[in-house]
Amino acid sequence: MGMIVLGLRNLLRNKVRLVLVAILIGVPFFLLLAMNAIGDAVQRQTAVLAENVNTVLQLRARGSMGHVNMVGQDRILPQDVPEKVRGIEHVERVEPYLLAMAPITPPNFVMHVGLAPTAVKRLESHGEAGNPRIIAGRDLTPEDAGQDVAIIGQGYAQWAGIKPEDMGTATLTVDPTRTHPVIFAMKRPTRELRIVGMYASGYVFGDLQLFMPIETFRSIYGTDQGTSWLFVKVDSVENVPLVAQRVRETVGYVADILVPESAAVFTATTSRTVKQLSGAGGLLAIALMVIVVFFVLLMTVRERAREIGTLKAIGASDGGVTVQFLTEAVALSLLGGALGLLLFQAVGAMVTGRLFALSIGPFLPSHYKPLFESLAVSNQVSASVLLLVLVVAVVAAVVGSAYGVWQAVRLSPLEAMKHE
Amino acid sequence: MNRATPLIELRSVSKSYRKGGETIDAIADIDLELPEKGMVAIVGPSGSGKSTLLHLIGAMDRPTRGEVVVAGRVVNGLSQGELTRFRRRTVGFVFQTFNLIPNLSALENVALPMEFNGAAKSERTKRAKALLERFQLGHRLKHRANELSGGEMQRVAIARAIANEPRLVLADEPTGNLDSKTGALIYELLKEISRERTVLVVTHAEPLAAMADRVLHLQDGRIGA
Repeated sequence: MGMIVLGLRNLLRNKVRLVLVAILIGVPFFLLLAMNAIGDAVQRQTAVLAENVNTVLQLRARGSMGHVNMVGQDRILPQDVPEKVRGIEHVERVEPYLLAMAPITPPNFVMHVGLAPTAVKRLESHGEAGNPRIIAGRDLTPEDAGQDVAIIGQGYAQWAGIKPEDMGTATLTVDPTRTHPVIFAMKRPTRELRIVGMYASGYVFGDLQLFMPIETFRSIYGTDQGTSWLFVKVDSVENVPLVAQRVRETVGYVADILVPESAAVFTATTSRTVKQLSGAGGLLAIALMVIVVFFVLLMTVRERAREIGTLKAIGASDGGVTVQFLTEAVALSLLGGALGLLLFQAVGAMVTGRLFALSIGPFLPSHYKPLFESLAVSNQVSASVLLLVLVVAVVAAVVGSAYGVWQAVRLSPLEAMKHE
Repeated sequence: MNRATPLIELRSVSKSYRKGGETIDAIADIDLELPEKGMVAIVGPSGSGKSTLLHLIGAMDRPTRGEVVVAGRVVNGLSQGELTRFRRRTVGFVFQTFNLIPNLSALENVALPMEFNGAAKSERTKRAKALLERFQLGHRLKHRANELSGGEMQRVAIARAIANEPRLVLADEPTGNLDSKTGALIYELLKEISRERTVLVVTHAEPLAAMADRVLHLQDGRIGA
């Protein structure tokens, strides 16, 4: 029975204390895992945004929002612009959008969007977030081209009384004649669209859109030609300025070109902020673990001073005493880590979302907060998470126990002679 | 006793402490030779330096002046690692409060010093078992300290002290926490093991001192007549 086994057996001397200490270490571990999960989730979301936005130019008719029924903002891009842009080097994909506004409960309105069924479904006004999550039914498919079908945001669906379980059978009537202080009536017949899917975007206005095939949109609003917005996907971030210049040269001054500056600002600020905050949270968690291990070991050494003295008197080396206490500290820390992992798997997804809203959300740049309000946090325990727990447990144990071990090593065998 | 080959030699050994700006001589200029084998009792009033003398001989403390030679080695000149090895191989300790490791069985307690000394598991288990059986504890091998009586604990402690077959056993008030009947059993045991080695006992118990081959009377840090 070596000092390692002796250290492990020492853990079981006081089971109540063992449970208490495991909880005290397990909670910071949970916090660490939560912060790690938040960092991962934000990184994933940022990567999606970077993919969809950082390399995407947006073209609109010069000086116009390009909404086909918006007062004073209804000029759209000429019909030949997409073809011209498609021919430019470094352009990967061109996605034409048509947009119309539709009034709901005053003074609010929703957005009707026509696009190729497989195009990235970008959310109007922010424009940063693309392909929101389908939460019921299905997404549009190439077979939907020209069909009277649509997918609807959950906010719009709620207003329209459409429930997730109704996907595929629910219908929504689009009425181009309805007006609003900034929407003019278009004398067109109403059209009933079958709602095949419902999505969630993570922020309020993003959930107030209706995506339909572009041919269907043209047919409803009578917009036979032209494009409200044109999204131009460039093959790399480095080529964005060059493509922007070529677009300017090719299409002339009929278009405003919006370069993805806001997205760059987003990735540079939000992502960095979240990483810093989740990193700080993680460090705080590790510090808490170290503090717990520090005090537990110090208390243990003081309690067992006579026993340590006895071990030394009967021949234990300083190395042996070190191994015994280090084993105890590492085992305690790993036990706390295992408890933290179990906690995280059980309630991680639920608690982490709230933790994010309370600890990191408030520090985000205000105009990007909505994008992360429904952050999808995973509570899956991957190999890298296990490795993280293992490494942190060992580091916290070694750092936290260093002083206690030093105290134990310094104890003289004379301690064994002290009478109670 | 063979006076020609001393196991322990103290040459002008003193041990002083500073307390409240005052120097206290716990041990004052002691010269002493103790032979291989036999039982030596150290007696004297409280504060006379009995325990300090035991600590110096057991290499648990270093003298302020002089030399402590045990088994031919000047122990006050040994490094920390050498002291550990010295205690492991040359000295066995018996404490007043038994000092068994509480979460180990009697067998494991006795085997522990042998493990520190590098003995193989089978060897140390065999020897620990044999020692405990020799001390009538064969039925208590798997019992932990809190499951043993005071006398049983002290017998386990004595078995542990001689596990590595040291040439010297130091016992500090070994019957101090035992009733007189149990104490008498421990005296017998110490006397028995002193036939194979030197047993140095600090005691207030007159019957134990009476059993010793030699009695050292300490008074104010000096050995009296």
